[in-house]
Amino acid sequence: MEAFLPAELESRLKEVGEADIIAGIPSYNNARTIGHVVRAVAAGLAKYFPERRSILVNSDGASKDGTPEVVLKAEVDTDSLFLVAHPVRPVQRLSTPYHGIPGKGSAFRTIFEVARRLNAKACLVVDSDLRSITPQWVDLLVRPVLERNIDFVAPYYLRHKYDGTITNGIIYPLTRALFGKSVRQPIGGDFGFSGRLAAHYLTKDVWETDVARFGIDIWMTVTAMGDGFHIGQSYLGAKLHDAKDPGADLTAMFRQVVGSLFSLMGSYQAVWKEPKAPEAVPMFGFPFDVGVEPITVDVNRMIRAYALGVRDLDEVYRAFLSPETRESLSAWAKVEGETFRIPDVLWVHLIYEYAAAHHQKKMDRDHLMQSLVPLYLGRTASFVLEVRESNALQVEERIEQLCRVFVEEKPYLLAHWSGAPPEKAEKAEKVEKEESRAIAD
Amino acid sequence: MQSLIEKAFLIPFQRLADQFSAILPGLVTVLVVLVVGGAVAFLARRITEKLLQLLRFDRMMMETELGSMVARSGMFRAPSDFAARLLQGVLWVLIILIALEAAATEMTHNLVVRFVNYVPDLITALLVLLLGSLVAKFLARSALLAAVNAQWWGARLVAGAVRVLVLSLTVVVALEQLRIGRTALLVAFAILFAGVVIALAIAFGLAGREMAREWLGARTRPGDKREEEEVFRHL
Repeated sequence: MEAFLPAELESRLKEVGEADIIAGIPSYNNARTIGHVVRAVAAGLAKYFPERRSILVNSDGASKDGTPEVVLKAEVDTDSLFLVAHPVRPVQRLSTPYHGIPGKGSAFRTIFEVARRLNAKACLVVDSDLRSITPQWVDLLVRPVLERNIDFVAPYYLRHKYDGTITNGIIYPLTRALFGKSVRQPIGGDFGFSGRLAAHYLTKDVWETDVARFGIDIWMTVTAMGDGFHIGQSYLGAKLHDAKDPGADLTAMFRQVVGSLFSLMGSYQAVWKEPKAPEAVPMFGFPFDVGVEPITVDVNRMIRAYALGVRDLDEVYRAFLSPETRESLSAWAKVEGETFRIPDVLWVHLIYEYAAAHHQKKMDRDHLMQSLVPLYLGRTASFVLEVRESNALQVEERIEQLCRVFVEEKPYLLAHWSGAPPEKAEKAEKVEKEESRAIAD
Repeated sequence: MQSLIEKAFLIPFQRLADQFSAILPGLVTVLVVLVVGGAVAFLARRITEKLLQLLRFDRMMMETELGSMVARSGMFRAPSDFAARLLQGVLWVLIILIALEAAATEMTHNLVVRFVNYVPDLITALLVLLLGSLVAKFLARSALLAAVNAQWWGARLVAGAVRVLVLSLTVVVALEQLRIGRTALLVAFAILFAGVVIALAIAFGLAGREMAREWLGARTRPGDKREEEEVFRHL
């Protein structure tokens, strides 16, 4: 395996020798928030796993605001934590720059390698801009791995009904339809996993792709599901994080997250093509209701973006979308205001046709992902209009309904996955007939 | 008198007959090369077309951009017809070259030499055109998608301008390679390009002054973009 750890970290790891739990925090210019995250994780490790040897690793992408210094100086309020009658081991903190393509994925790779070198039993990774993290998160993400033989623990958050529309509209229903496992937040960003799975991740050669940037979350989840590891999820409450999200424009999100999922569909086609019975994913933690931040959405702006996209990108869509889907999209582009909708079946067909076009390389993949953005905005506007008056429970039921359509329409994906779309198939059939006639002549 | 008749009629006719008899074998060879070559080219076209049809070439090509282009042109029955006619065209060029060489005159020999020397430039120019059209298409689509995602109403205009610009540049480079109207072409292109840029700059600066101010303001004011991200999180 290629050596990519910095020399200083190598020598520190030799000094440490072994560890039970690795807590990883990737960072880039998070000096303002990372102190709170480090304190919460260190407190969680000390409170819930005092008898275990734990290491906290901050994998930093060359921050310019002193993030590593904040990590090393962060203090834990030990007096209130060490009341429990257990031998308490101190939590060691390592802050290291990572090598590779700038992004969360490269930071995670360093954390996986540290886990492998120290022969860790369990790991957790959390975002460095979290405002709602509590020490209990450590227990909820790590204990299922240590005591319940779970390899991958996904987070389960309470979120505002308009929050996380890529998760709700594409990633969650699609992963569920493909693998039969109901992981509600596949790209949550805060995960627990076994040392065995960390070592498995390192065997994959994806570190020069978009996975090394911000496609790591979906890659971890799909790899765990696709390669047959035991999956669980833990209820963590609300997720509040720093609003600052540098460079996270919608086009990049689509390329890195949705594009990564489409690429993974190619890698795991042998797994998802087999019919799957829905499989319950064990839930850990205690669900409780919390207030979530209100969100305002400019629906009309999104509908305008959709109409503009459908009008101007017709030539692009013609290259890979079926005529029926294009006609439906055009019909809805003429509708404005409250009655605007992108029906579930149309949306599911659209996503499936995009996945097939991505697989068949019908177009440059960056262009393909960019062309999905206006359609996604239309679907988001439609969803917001539909659930405007709904409560959290009703919204969840609405998302369940979409999941069912994704499952029911899976044959549509299979039909498009390896074959030509209907328009091209028709043309090819016509040409074939002409060929036969010419040969007969 | 007899000498005059000889000088005026017999000697010229004799010379004409000599010249004719000198070039006749060459002419016959040229005609034979053209007739036989034409027949071979025709047969090669028919055989190639049938062979490609048997190999389901048309169905394969329908999936590609080239296949769609051939279908859109309306000039050919199918991609196999296009490929067969292309082969026939290339064969005809070769046949004509052989025929000219067979004529065995200095003029035809020079023509053949000049043509053969020109072939590398012709191939380079064709490659430049092919590459240029591909790059133009890619860049135009990039511009279109970027403009649509930035929600500009003139997205197709921007994409069209990018395509025209890249294609113009490609044609100029190809013609330059073919040594056709070198200086005049470059000057014409420079004038046209500079004219378009100046016209756009004036149009943007005068007619779109407010739009330019808003656009630049939105991109230079800190916090504007963040505000949008703060109210709506996609992941």
